[in-house]
Amino acid sequence: MGWEEVQVRGYPEFVRTAQRYHGRPIFALFCGDKDAEGRSWCPDCVTAEPVVRKELHNLPDESVFIYCLVGDRAYWKDPNNEFRKNLKLTGVPTLLKYGTPQKLVEEECFKAELVRMLFTED
Amino acid sequence: SVQAHKEEDNPEKTMEVNGLAPVPNSYDYDLIVIGGGSGGLAAAKEAAKYEKKVMVLDFVTPTPQGSSWGLGGTCVNVGCIPKKLMHQAALLGQALQDSRKFGWQFTEEVKHNWMTMTESVQNYIGSLNWGYRVTLRDTKVTYENAYGEFVGPHTIKATNKKGVEKLYTAERFIIATGERPRYLGIPGDKEHCISSDDLFSLPYCPGKTLVVGASYVALECAGFLAGLGLDVTVMVRSILLRGFDQDMANKIGEYMTEHGVTFIREFVPIKVEQVEEGTPGKLKVTARSTTGNQMIEGEYNTVLLAIGRDPCTRKIGLDKVGVNINEKTGKIPVNDEEQTNVPYIYAIGDILQDKLELTPVAIQAGRLLVRRLYAGATAKCDYVNVPTTVFTPLEYGACGYSEETAVEKFGEENIEVYHSHFWPLEWTVPSRDNNKCYAKIICNIQDNERVIGFHVLGPNAGEVTQGFAAAIKCGLTKEQLDSTVGIHPVCAEV
Repeated sequence: MGWEEVQVRGYPEFVRTAQRYHGRPIFALFCGDKDAEGRSWCPDCVTAEPVVRKELHNLPDESVFIYCLVGDRAYWKDPNNEFRKNLKLTGVPTLLKYGTPQKLVEEECFKAELVRMLFTED
Repeated sequence: SVQAHKEEDNPEKTMEVNGLAPVPNSYDYDLIVIGGGSGGLAAAKEAAKYEKKVMVLDFVTPTPQGSSWGLGGTCVNVGCIPKKLMHQAALLGQALQDSRKFGWQFTEEVKHNWMTMTESVQNYIGSLNWGYRVTLRDTKVTYENAYGEFVGPHTIKATNKKGVEKLYTAERFIIATGERPRYLGIPGDKEHCISSDDLFSLPYCPGKTLVVGASYVALECAGFLAGLGLDVTVMVRSILLRGFDQDMANKIGEYMTEHGVTFIREFVPIKVEQVEEGTPGKLKVTARSTTGNQMIEGEYNTVLLAIGRDPCTRKIGLDKVGVNINEKTGKIPVNDEEQTNVPYIYAIGDILQDKLELTPVAIQAGRLLVRRLYAGATAKCDYVNVPTTVFTPLEYGACGYSEETAVEKFGEENIEVYHSHFWPLEWTVPSRDNNKCYAKIICNIQDNERVIGFHVLGPNAGEVTQGFAAAIKCGLTKEQLDSTVGIHPVCAEV
């Protein structure tokens, strides 16, 4: 069946989407919001996104790739935002395999080898 | 595809030399490390720093109960890390009780949920497994989840869990395969008993537990299980904590007895039978006295064997490359540079003969070895005055000689022992024991009363001992100790 991408914005939409695909391998990339020109306030996210997208073809069959915009910079900086509190995210960009401790944070997302390892290995 | 690549790269991989076994003259790797535990990973990461081509092989043969785990070795998966976390869980239970005397009010009964604790611990371990894989990949160390064994000079065979075999060659090897728990060899042991390899990921609460053994593993596990509210019995063949200071060992035993652990001394199990299936089920244990013919029986939900650990050296093809091992114990003798009798094969960690079985020792040995091999360093691992801590309910930290060994080596008349009981301030208000915590130092009279042994029994023993270990390494004497002003009010000031 291959893999599919779903784009969401904000915590409640992320949670609903993850629940909808329960049972399938779920990978998620969290980035800062983009402005009208499509540029994120988060410079590391700008660097990471093309690297991650280039490796998506390695996703296992049946996976779901959730591309999630977390919010604006002020929301992200708040130490009590729901992504930090509930998903334990510590930075953006974060690329993770949902339901496992496997994740790549910030500069780790720039490395194609690591992204590939996350997508393809157990 | 990796296999095909290799054959293309090294078409002249082997050559006959005067009828001897073929010897590869261009190796796949500079270094292959067999075992991805504390020692193996430290060595591999260090070698990568010097831009060496390194491979790590790590494979966990599942336990009789089917337990397995990820990269990182015993300490991370089924040793120090989960042990300390569960010990902490038990201490927190005690702290909750103490808190009432300090004014905290809560009406609910405090209960413990095994699954909640185990899931949190396993989640943390999973993040460590992943972290190691990221680090290895990032430092360009090749990692294969495969069982490594020697098949000929400079050559190993790696078999993954699907049974696929690959051959690799290297200029040098480091064996860091560690150990696994020993079984009793009695009827029902493998079918019905668990070991520390199973305990930390047990998917159900163990319930009423019999711990067989008197090692630190046995006492630490018995200690935290009792601290979590379970009914725990420890069956001991002879003495507690063989190899440790016996004065301290007995105090630990007394404390555990007074805090709800039952000890059955001088008995060994001779069979384990299943009475009821379940998670946990019910097991009947029959045991015989070591001093007579008396037999006893008991029923438990879980039987945990902690009678010792055996090195994983018997099935890795050491005979094919001529590496000597101690046939009786399986341990590998090495020189003071961790080299086996085969010059290009080294060994580190728990498998070494006559060396301490501790994570920091393995890490230090691995790092220094690699620096000597690839960075021209000369420093050798110092195995003397290594501090350790036993995380029994009353923690025990030690560095240097036990009282018995000091007497044996220096003679009773040349040793002076200074000791003291102490009562931690935090224990006063909740009326906890006032004469159980204890500290002693052993001094060599002939050498300026140099401190050659340090022992402390009390809370946070590990934290206390670490600093004293550094002082002992610097040659601490009793006079220097006396002239050091204490921090007040802490246990360490004693």
